[in-house]
Amino acid sequence: MALISPTILALRRDPRLLKLPPYLSALCLFIGVVWLCLLPLNEYSRHTYISENALLPGQVHTYFGGSEKNVYNAYKYEVQALVGKDQKATYEKLSDIFISAGLRPARQKYEYYAAGNTYSGENVYAILHAPRGDATEAIVLVAAWTNMDGDLNQSGVALALALARYFKRWSLWSKDIIILITGDSRAGPQAWVDAYHDEHTSPLVAPLPLKSGALQGVVVIDNALDHPFESLHIVYDGINGQLPNLDLLNTAVSIASGQLGIGISLQRMWKHNDSYQERLQTMLRGMVSQGLGHSSGPHSSFIPYHVDAITLQAVGDGGQDEMAMGRCVESIFRSLNNLLEHFHQSFFFYLLMQANRFVSIGTYLPSAMLVAVSFTIMAIALWIRSGRPPSPKAASTDFEKEKTEMEVVRKDGMTAIIPKENLTILERQLFLPVALVVAVHFFGAIPLYVFINSSRNTLPSYFVVFTVLNSLLPTVLANTIHYYTPLTPQHHLLLQSFSLLVLGMFLATLATVNFSLSLFVGLLSTPLSFTGYSFSYSVDAKEVFPSPARKYVSILVLQLLSPTVVVWAVCYMWGVDLGEMLAEAAFGWKVNGLWTQVVIWCIWWPAWMLGGVLVLV
Amino acid sequence: MKRFFCLLLSLLLGLLVSADPDYKELLNLQPLNPASLLASFNFWSKASLQSYEQQHFKYIPRSLGQILQHAKTRELHLRFSTGRWDDESWGARPWGGTKEGGTGVELWAWVEADSDSGSFARWVTLNNALSGLFCASLNFIDSTRTTRPRMTFEPTSSVSNTSSENMYLLHGTLPREVVCTENLTPFLKLLPCKGKAGIASLLDGHKLFDASWQSMAIDVRSVCSEDGSECSIEMEQTVDMVLDVDRSKRPRDNPIPRPIPSEHLHCDISKPYASNEACFPSDADLGQSWTIAEIFGRPIQGSCLSEDSQGQLRDSVCINVPLDREVNPYGDAVETKNEAGSGRCFAIPASKPFEMVLSHIGPQTFNDISQPPLYASRSFTGHGQERGGVQTLLTNPSRTSSIEFVYFETLPWFMKPYLHTLDARLSTSSTSSPEIIKETFYRPALDRRRGTQLELLVSVPAASTVVLTYDFDKAILRYTEYPPDANRGFDVAPAVIRLLPVEGQAEVYIRTSSLLLPLPTPDFSMPYNVIILTSTVMALAFGMIFNLLVRRFVGADEVEGWNLAALKAKARGRAMALLDRVLRKGKEKKVQ
Repeated sequence: MALISPTILALRRDPRLLKLPPYLSALCLFIGVVWLCLLPLNEYSRHTYISENALLPGQVHTYFGGSEKNVYNAYKYEVQALVGKDQKATYEKLSDIFISAGLRPARQKYEYYAAGNTYSGENVYAILHAPRGDATEAIVLVAAWTNMDGDLNQSGVALALALARYFKRWSLWSKDIIILITGDSRAGPQAWVDAYHDEHTSPLVAPLPLKSGALQGVVVIDNALDHPFESLHIVYDGINGQLPNLDLLNTAVSIASGQLGIGISLQRMWKHNDSYQERLQTMLRGMVSQGLGHSSGPHSSFIPYHVDAITLQAVGDGGQDEMAMGRCVESIFRSLNNLLEHFHQSFFFYLLMQANRFVSIGTYLPSAMLVAVSFTIMAIALWIRSGRPPSPKAASTDFEKEKTEMEVVRKDGMTAIIPKENLTILERQLFLPVALVVAVHFFGAIPLYVFINSSRNTLPSYFVVFTVLNSLLPTVLANTIHYYTPLTPQHHLLLQSFSLLVLGMFLATLATVNFSLSLFVGLLSTPLSFTGYSFSYSVDAKEVFPSPARKYVSILVLQLLSPTVVVWAVCYMWGVDLGEMLAEAAFGWKVNGLWTQVVIWCIWWPAWMLGGVLVLV
Repeated sequence: MKRFFCLLLSLLLGLLVSADPDYKELLNLQPLNPASLLASFNFWSKASLQSYEQQHFKYIPRSLGQILQHAKTRELHLRFSTGRWDDESWGARPWGGTKEGGTGVELWAWVEADSDSGSFARWVTLNNALSGLFCASLNFIDSTRTTRPRMTFEPTSSVSNTSSENMYLLHGTLPREVVCTENLTPFLKLLPCKGKAGIASLLDGHKLFDASWQSMAIDVRSVCSEDGSECSIEMEQTVDMVLDVDRSKRPRDNPIPRPIPSEHLHCDISKPYASNEACFPSDADLGQSWTIAEIFGRPIQGSCLSEDSQGQLRDSVCINVPLDREVNPYGDAVETKNEAGSGRCFAIPASKPFEMVLSHIGPQTFNDISQPPLYASRSFTGHGQERGGVQTLLTNPSRTSSIEFVYFETLPWFMKPYLHTLDARLSTSSTSSPEIIKETFYRPALDRRRGTQLELLVSVPAASTVVLTYDFDKAILRYTEYPPDANRGFDVAPAVIRLLPVEGQAEVYIRTSSLLLPLPTPDFSMPYNVIILTSTVMALAFGMIFNLLVRRFVGADEVEGWNLAALKAKARGRAMALLDRVLRKGKEKKVQ
C-alpha cells in the first residue's frame, strides 16, 4: 500500500480521473450484458452433477407397474366420477381410498380474498408413517385437483393415490410420506404449507389436524392428459425467484432421462437441440419467470419455507404411459429417502439452459452486479462533483494563460504556497435532496396499495388512469419544486446522486436474492445514469443543465421506459390481459407473499420519477 | 463333609420349593387391527438382596449386577425405542406406557450418594459402564443431557426411609441414538436362556427391527416385604413390538413387495367400470390368518425354566383374541382359556417347539381397542433460522372427567425458550386460560453446561384440547460443536407425560415424538470460504483506494470537538431563531 499511495494521492485532483465515471458506468453496463450473453457457451456453463452422494439417483430398481396399473385405472375412474361433485363427496371418496390403503386422511379448508375474488377450496391429505421413523422428517407427494391451467389433474391425482397404496407396502421408508391432494394449484398448496408451519391466517385457513416432521422434499405430479405422454416438463421456479436445490432437479432429470428414458424439457422449450440460441432462450425464459417471481406451480409455495420442491408435468402425446411417471416418482422418492441431511450440498442459485447444463451464481452474478455498480459509480462521481466549486479555468476559457491564484499558508513555522482552488470548501446542502428522495420513495406505497387492494374489475381502469397521471407527474413535480425552492446546481447533482445511490445499492442487494429481477430493473433504468446533466467534474450551472435537444431526447427515453409503459408493453408482447396480470400480482401479494410489486413501485418507480424530475427542472 | 453337602443341598432344595419362582417369562400377543399385531415379551427375575450383595448371581445377570453395585444404583430404568406408537389406530399403550421410552435411548436411575455432585459422578460411572454393556452411546449423556425431574418419576422400589434421603434421581436421553441389533444381542445375553430357548427364541433382529414400533426396557428395583425383613432385587426385561402382519408374512427370500399378479388382486366387482383393466381394491385382507413362524420367522423353541418346583408348567404364551376365533396350537402345549376376558394362554414343555395358527375369520374378530386417556402431539411452528416455537396439542378424549398430568420436557441448551411466552389455551378459545397450568417447575439452561428442564402440572377439562405453546431462540454454535451431518438438524428429546394416578388406576406414561430442530448451519464447503475471503480482500482494497482518492484530509487540531455544551447552545440557538421567525411572521401579519 505504501508503494501505491503516492500514485493514488497524485491522482486525487487529476481532472482526467473525474471525467472517467460516465464511461466507466457505460462500460460496466456493456460488460454486464455481454457477460450474460456469453453464459450459454460451453466455456462458461457447466454440466450438472449430483453433489449430494447420498441421493444415488436411479440406483434402485422400480417395481411400480403390473397389477398396480389396474388399481390406477380404477382410481382414475373414481376421480373422473368426482368432477362437479361438492367438497364433501370429494373428501369422502378420497378418504375412503386413503383408509383402504391403510392411511389416515385429514382435510383442511381454506379461503383467500384477493383482487375482489374469493379463492376457496379444501385440501385432503394423508400421512404414511415411516415404519420405523420417529416423525422427525417427511417428504411430500402433491397432486393438485386442478393444474395451473385449471384442467382436472385426473391422471396426476389417480397416480398419487395409487402410489400411496403402493408405498404403504414398503418398509424401507426412513421419512414419513405425506400424500397431499390440494384443491387447486396456487391457493391450496400455500394454505397447506402455511398451516404446516403454523403461519396461516386463522380462521380463513384452517389449521392442520395431522402433522409430521420437517419437510425435506416435495414432488408435484401434474398430468391432466387422458392419453400417454411424450415427455416430462419440470417446473422449478419458486415464489420471489427462489429456486429449489439443484440436486433435487438433477435427481429428477437423471432418473427420468437416464433410468427411464423419458425426455425432459424446461421452461416450455418443447424443442431443444442444444444450440446457442436455444440455450440462451431457455435461460432468458427462466430469468423472466424468476424475475416475475410468481407461483409457477403447486411446488412454488413450498420453496420460501426452505423446502425444496419441483413439479413434474406430463406433456405431449407419445409413448410413455402413466406407470412410467409413477416409476419416476417412485425412484425420486427412493432417492429422497436416502437423504441424511436437508438438501444443502448443491446450488440454490443457478440458471439452467438445458436439463443438464447450468451456470452457478459465481459465474452469472457479475453480470447483474456490474449493472448495479454502474449506478453506484455515477452516484459517487456526482457526490464528488457536488463538492467541487466551479473552476475559474473552465468558466473563462479566454484567459487560459492566466495564473492560478495562490495563497501563502504559514503554519508551525513553515510556509507553503497552495493554489487557492484547493483551499476553498463547498458545503453540501443535503436536506432538500435527501428529503425529496425519501419522500418519493415513500410515495411508491400509493400505487402499491391501490393495485393490491382494488378488485379485478376496476384494476384495468385504475391502471389506465395511473399511466396517464404517471406520464404527467414528473412535470408537475418538477414545476412544484421549482415554484417553491428553485434547485441550485448542487441540489441537482445531489438529488441524482442519492437517487442513483439508493438504486445501485438496492439492485446490488437484490442481485444476490433475485438475480433476474435486479438485472431487468437495472437494465430498464440505465438511462437514469446518463440523463439530467452533461458530463463535467464540478458544480457549474452551465454544465448541469442540459441542452434542449438532449433534454427532449431524455424525456422521450424516460417516458418510453416508465414502469407503467413497460407493464403495458409486457402485456402486449405476451398477449396477456392487463387486468389478469394485475389481479395475479395482487393474488401473489395477498396469498404467496410476492415482493415483485414492492420492487417495482417502491424502488424502480421512485428512481424513474426522480430521473424525470431532474430532466425537467 | 459329605453330610454337610447333603445338608446344604436339601436346604437349597427346600428354599427353592418354598420361595416364589425366581424367573418367569411370558409372551402376550394381541392383534391390534387387521394389519398389525402387538407382541409383548416379558422376562422377570428375582434374587434376594442378601445374595445380590454377596455377589451370588443366578438369574440376575452378573454383568449388570456388578455395574449397579459399583455405581451404587438402587433402581434403574433403561429404554431403547424406535418408531412411534400410533395411538389413534392402536389404542392405549401396553403396560400403560410405563415400560417404554422416547425415541432413541432413555435412562433414569436412583443413585445413592452423599451429595449432588457425588450422585452425578456415580451417574457418569453408570452411563459409561452401561454404554459398554449395551453397545449404545450412553456415555454421551453428559451434564447437558442430564436432568433431575421433580414430579415426573417416582421410585418403584420399596426402600426404607432412612436410605431414601440420599437417593438422587437422574434422567438422561439420547434421542438421536439408533437402536439396532448391537443393542439387542447384549439384551438377550442377560437372559438365562440367552435367546436360545423359550419365547426369547423369537427375538430375531430382522423381525424385531422391521417392526412398526418397538421398545426394549430393563427395570431393576429392590422390593421389601412389608415389615422390611426380607428384601429382594427384581429385574424385568421387556420387549414390546408392533408388527405389520402383511410385511412380516413376506417370505425372507423374497422380501420385495412387488405388485401381485393381477389375477390375485381382490377387486370390488360392484364398481361399474370393474374389468380386467381396472380394479378398485377391496378390503379382502381383513382378519387374515397367521402362524408364529410366519410372523417371527421361526416357531418358539420350547420353553425356558417354565417348570415350577412341582413340575407344573407355567404359561409362556398368551393370545388376546375373542374366544370364538379359532387358535390351533401345535406341539404338546396346554391351553387355558380365560373365561372372563377374551384371552387364552399356553404352557409349553421345555424341549418341544411350539407353533400356533390363528385362523382366518371375518373382520369382526378383534377386541375393541382401548381408548388412551390422552392424545399428545408436539410440533415446531414458524420457520427460519433465528427463532421458532413449539406447539403441543393435548387432547382429553374422556367425555366425563378431566385429567391431570405432569408434562416434562428437556430442551438442549442451544434452544432457548422464553418462559413468558409459555401459554396454554383451549383449542376452542383464542385467549389463554391460566387455570390449565397449575404448577411450573423450570430450571433454565446454562450455555454448554446444562439444558432447560420444564415440568408443568397441567389439567385438561373433559372432551377438550389444550394447546400449549412457547417461543424460543436458536443459538449459534461454535463450528466445532456441529455434528458430522450438521445439516440434518438437532434432535430434541420427546416430552414425557405422566398421568397422575386416579384412585384404583395405575399411572400412565405417554411420550411424544422427538423433534428435529434446524439450527443456522455454516456452509462448511470450500467455495463458500473462498468467496468470503476474496470478498473481504476486495472490500479492504477498494476501501483504501477510495479513501485516498476522495477523503478530505484535515489536521487533528483543526477538527471541532464534540462538545456537549456547545451542541446544546447550538440547538438552543436554532430553536430561538425558529421561534423568533415564527413570532416575527405573526407580527408581520398583524402589521399587514
